[in-house]
Amino acid sequence: MKLTDKVAIPAQVMARQVGEETVILDLASSTYYGLDPVGARLWVLLSEGKTLGETCAALLDEYEVEPARLERDVFGLVDELAGRGLVALEPG
Amino acid sequence: MGWFDGDHLADGSAGLERAKAAAGRGADSGEGSANRVGSRQAFGFAVDFRMASARPQAPLKAVLFREWTLPDGTLWAGFYRTEAGYLLRFPGLADFQLAQDGGRIRCRPVLGVAAATVRHLYLNQVLPLALCQQGKLVLHASAVEIGGEAVACVGVSGRGKSTLAASFATGGYRFLSDDGLVVEPVAGEPHVVPCHPSIRLWEDSQAALVGAGARRAPPLPFTSKARLLAGASVAFCGQPRRLRQVYFLGAGEQCAPAFERMSPAEALIELVKHSFLLDLDEPAPLAAHFNALAELARRPIFHRLDYPRRYADLPEVRRAIVKHACGEEGTA
Repeated sequence: MKLTDKVAIPAQVMARQVGEETVILDLASSTYYGLDPVGARLWVLLSEGKTLGETCAALLDEYEVEPARLERDVFGLVDELAGRGLVALEPG
Repeated sequence: MGWFDGDHLADGSAGLERAKAAAGRGADSGEGSANRVGSRQAFGFAVDFRMASARPQAPLKAVLFREWTLPDGTLWAGFYRTEAGYLLRFPGLADFQLAQDGGRIRCRPVLGVAAATVRHLYLNQVLPLALCQQGKLVLHASAVEIGGEAVACVGVSGRGKSTLAASFATGGYRFLSDDGLVVEPVAGEPHVVPCHPSIRLWEDSQAALVGAGARRAPPLPFTSKARLLAGASVAFCGQPRRLRQVYFLGAGEQCAPAFERMSPAEALIELVKHSFLLDLDEPAPLAAHFNALAELARRPIFHRLDYPRRYADLPEVRRAIVKHACGEEGTA
């Protein structure tokens, strides 16, 4: 996984924001996944087509967090989402 | 025998069954002359349901896309795509052809299958799916009327939603539905629309809750659940009621009624799990379904509820629910 990578959201995956959280539903596997407010913001940025690096930069502007910690957390969450089939990595 | 012999409506029923037709006598000679059994028209519901003559179930060429199996692995229902929509086959019992838009159902029972059995399949399995195809929200939930509004209990089979509904309906309150709960917006507010005026209960719940005077539909061969019909001893509310609270029922691990507020995201996930949906491969209706559930989930009306599963405790559970439902504010 690299900062220049993007993700694609499969057609069968839908996400809806409710309150401050986001619920992702994979219709193919009936997998449900809840994202907290920061995860929800990450989802919006990724779904806009931003690279992982651009996503990290945007989140650094919005949250007080160490860059290395943020990058680790973003990579970790994207890895988990990819593992569940909720996003597909597109190497950049 | 008519289709609905042994069963009838509560006075004032205004739900799905209001337009019960008196027709549907016996079987006739084939598809083209199918009997008209009933059109349901109330609060925008419209399902044209007719029955054709009985015949053996021939092998199907249509594409099987979904199956329901019983806990022992037995196939309970197969879902097939057809040119006109869907075919739901209950092996050894009946086939139901369902139009793509959910507006028309044609049933062909297997010879010798009792009318009560086919009626059960229609009401409990097929009609909720038809309403889904019409874009309506249908939940695995019961509902009762408390303070002029609807309080719903959601849960998988066995969690006690029908028992709770029966407890209320025999304890001074009226029920709106025991399953297949239809939620419709009325003037921008979600309302529960009453469905069939009956409650299905296992034998032990019947014995504990309902006296011998309650009217029962004929027994069915594949379940020991009996369908209690609304009447003097099982009170039914036949008008839509605004949805005030929704409780997701726990597994009975608490020693006293316990309520826990759910976040909108938790509510949405549970609503998705507990809503009827026929076809997962149609993106546009699915997106609309998900949108409607998300809109509902944003309302602060969702709680987890757990309580001990002892019949003797049901009056206390009822009191706790009434107190909680009436005490909760901010339901708009």
